[in-house]
Amino acid sequence: MTQVNTRAAHQAATARMGDISRQLDSVQAQISRAKRIDSPADDPVAFARAAVLHREQAAVAATQRGIDAANRRLTATDTALASVGELVQRGRELALAGNTATLSASDRLTIATEVHELEEQLRTLADSRDSDGQRLFGGAISDRPAYGVDADGVTRWQGGGRAPALTIGNGSVASGSEGPDVFGVTDAIAGTRDLFAAFTALRAALTEPDADLRSAAMAVGIGDFDTHVTRLANARGTLGSRLDRLDSESDRIAKAKLATEGDLSKLESLDMPEAIARLQRLITVMEAAQASFVKITSLSLWDHLR
Amino acid sequence: MTDLLSIGAAGVRAFQAALAQVGDNVANADTPGYVRRSLRITTGPAGAGTPLSRDVGSGAGVVAGDITRASNALAANSARVAAGDQARFAARSDWLERLQTAVTGSDLDARMGGFFDAGTDLAAAPTSTAARTIFLARTEQVTSAFHGLGTGLAALADDIAGAVDAATTSVNAITSALGRVNTELRRTQSGGAAANGLLDSRDQMLAELAQYVRISVTESDRGAVTVRLGTGGAAALLVDTDGTAVRIGVRDGASGAEIVLDPTHAATAVRLPASGTLTGLVEAARQVAAARTEIDAIATGFGTAVNVWHSVGTDALGDPGGVLVTTRDISTTPGRANAGAAAIAVTIADDRLLAPDGYTLRRDAAGWTLARVDGTASITGSGTLVLDGVSVRAGVGAREGDSWTLATQSGAAGLGVRAIGPARLAVADRFLADAAATNSGDGHIALATDPTAAAFAPAPPYRVTVTAAGIGLITDIATGTTLAAITFDGTPVTAAGFTFTLTGTPAIGDSFRILTAGAGSSDNGNARGLADVRRAIGPAGTMEAAFDATLAGIGAGLAETRRLQATAQAVKDDAALANDSISGVDLDREAADLTRLQVAYRANAQVMAAARDMFDTMLAVFR
Repeated sequence: MTQVNTRAAHQAATARMGDISRQLDSVQAQISRAKRIDSPADDPVAFARAAVLHREQAAVAATQRGIDAANRRLTATDTALASVGELVQRGRELALAGNTATLSASDRLTIATEVHELEEQLRTLADSRDSDGQRLFGGAISDRPAYGVDADGVTRWQGGGRAPALTIGNGSVASGSEGPDVFGVTDAIAGTRDLFAAFTALRAALTEPDADLRSAAMAVGIGDFDTHVTRLANARGTLGSRLDRLDSESDRIAKAKLATEGDLSKLESLDMPEAIARLQRLITVMEAAQASFVKITSLSLWDHLR
Repeated sequence: MTDLLSIGAAGVRAFQAALAQVGDNVANADTPGYVRRSLRITTGPAGAGTPLSRDVGSGAGVVAGDITRASNALAANSARVAAGDQARFAARSDWLERLQTAVTGSDLDARMGGFFDAGTDLAAAPTSTAARTIFLARTEQVTSAFHGLGTGLAALADDIAGAVDAATTSVNAITSALGRVNTELRRTQSGGAAANGLLDSRDQMLAELAQYVRISVTESDRGAVTVRLGTGGAAALLVDTDGTAVRIGVRDGASGAEIVLDPTHAATAVRLPASGTLTGLVEAARQVAAARTEIDAIATGFGTAVNVWHSVGTDALGDPGGVLVTTRDISTTPGRANAGAAAIAVTIADDRLLAPDGYTLRRDAAGWTLARVDGTASITGSGTLVLDGVSVRAGVGAREGDSWTLATQSGAAGLGVRAIGPARLAVADRFLADAAATNSGDGHIALATDPTAAAFAPAPPYRVTVTAAGIGLITDIATGTTLAAITFDGTPVTAAGFTFTLTGTPAIGDSFRILTAGAGSSDNGNARGLADVRRAIGPAGTMEAAFDATLAGIGAGLAETRRLQATAQAVKDDAALANDSISGVDLDREAADLTRLQVAYRANAQVMAAARDMFDTMLAVFR
């Protein structure tokens, strides 16, 4: 014989209503957060995958900041090199002008003075810094000027190492140019002069009293300047290709970020219409359960005993 | 006629008793553990008309028999088992929930990512004090997350141990009470109100006991029960019918917490019962211990890898990077009986191994004594005491006999950050290499700091010149002296504190410089090396992946437990309903019984009235 025990029936009914109200609470929480997953237990696999994607997003944002910094530095280097290029062009013009035999000694002195000015400007440009205060041409040495004058009065590169690199994927991009690559190297054996030496030599040639010696020195000087024009153009070309690489990396990151966001929203986002429909259904069930509970429990045989 | 009167009187008495029983049932309709009772009414014994038995010819009458309890041992047992199953999963999911909250709440995942991302930012701005300060702050955040998680999980394990203690205490209290009930039952007449009350409380205790552990119950004479822990023939005896009860306890076994019988005398480990709160607690304790082991391994790996990474670099002052994070800590606990209130300051030196068991600090007439717990070394004196690199300085206010326990903490709880300034962050590589601008080949030098080099001595700048195919010279740039002739065969050339490899195809006459990164270097080589620490694959993948896996494991365990709990809850509800439908009180049924018994009572009273009428009639005839 089965009978409905009054106490057990009450408890079962209240437990059922408690269960519905717990479900209501969880749906309501999901809706107010607009997220499907709140803790690993909600969906362990999706939670672990979402953790990886969140981390990826943060890492990609940091890489993008690194790219922006490298971009600033490379752009600053390029700007400095453009100015250096103008100086070299002007130096070459002055060398050609000074090579004219008809010029008087005082005219040449005037030109030599301008060359000296250019040299001073060059020194300033060679010690340019980026927006973070790092020297652009010193390589990895930043606590002293990139170029300094030694005891013999010769300007030498004081830097060392390579400019800070930016790691992208498995490769790396140098975020600057080192002095010797841009300004050349003075090497007696190979017969090369760096840009500083070239200017100094031009100045010396202009003030050389002997016409033959002067003419020969001026010819060498013009050749030097031609070499430097080419080197600077090459250096700027290298910078341009690095900037291009950073740009394409930025594009890739932007696309990857979009894809990551899409994946994340698929993993974590709540299907809002479905959730609201579920909430509505639960509310209906809850109301019906409460109403029927009150109705049924108010029925009792004891009311009819007289 | 007198027979009829006595038959009526017997009926009235019987139905009065039955009505009283209905009243009792209604009164106890909401009493937990109350089992519905009914009066068994039997026909009176008939015989030869003696005072003890009625004459056969004059009707049997009725007698009120035993009061029976409407219980079914099988239904009661399945309700107990189902409740125990539910209790097991409820306890487990409660504690796993707390474990999950502790681990996700540590925010370790985001902080580890933030630490490595700060490394990327540092590589982008190697000389920026702001970037260095942020990196140090992130280091502090990640170590404090590890530390917080480590201590949090230790506290959680302690809490579970406390809950386990409470549960075993309850089990032991219930079993000893059941033993006493057994004794009582054996000397109580069955069928009476006293026996029924004892049986009710026996059933309630069994139900309560089954909430803690899985039991099997055998009922014997007069309702005394034999209770065993677990099921099957080999199940250990908890309560015997003679009233003896065996205590249980929980101890740390080889594979984590385990349940033992008779913990104080002859402790024997038993298999984990299949249901009950205690089982759930033991399972949760094991899972927390496993999570702690995993997180401690990640923390130790993190601390070691970060320190190795940092120590191969050069800081902004040109010095080699040292230890960045501390991997051990000491927690100080004052003795319970301390009368004084002295403060204790403890510092630990770097690179010293601490005694795994920890230390004790004592104050006595001779002064202060700092000793290893295992007793292998100690130091006595006043002022600052130093043992194994642990410096202890006690404040004023200690009394003789005061003591402190200094526990060594490693793993996650031992992780901390050393207080260093931003300039001390080793962002640059120790050595820099560059190629001469006049080189015509495309060779270049790859440098690696040799971590096994005993000490770091700033090396003079070197020049490596290729003199012939595969052969070169190392010269000291400052003095111009040739230091060594070397061959380039693809294997690393070892020098003071570093190794280098010449790769590519250098032309003869090409030269390379190797310099130390001095103070103020803007090199970011070491900062970039942090990405390798992040990518390094350990036994469980990268550090971050290992943590994700731990978290996912906890989540999966919790999700499974919740599903099991939901199923167990449904089974429990069904079994409880089935049991209650047999033994519980249905008020409507009692109302129907009441009416029926009232009618019968009235009818019997009418029989007595009829007998009196007959008697009166007969009297009138004789008058």
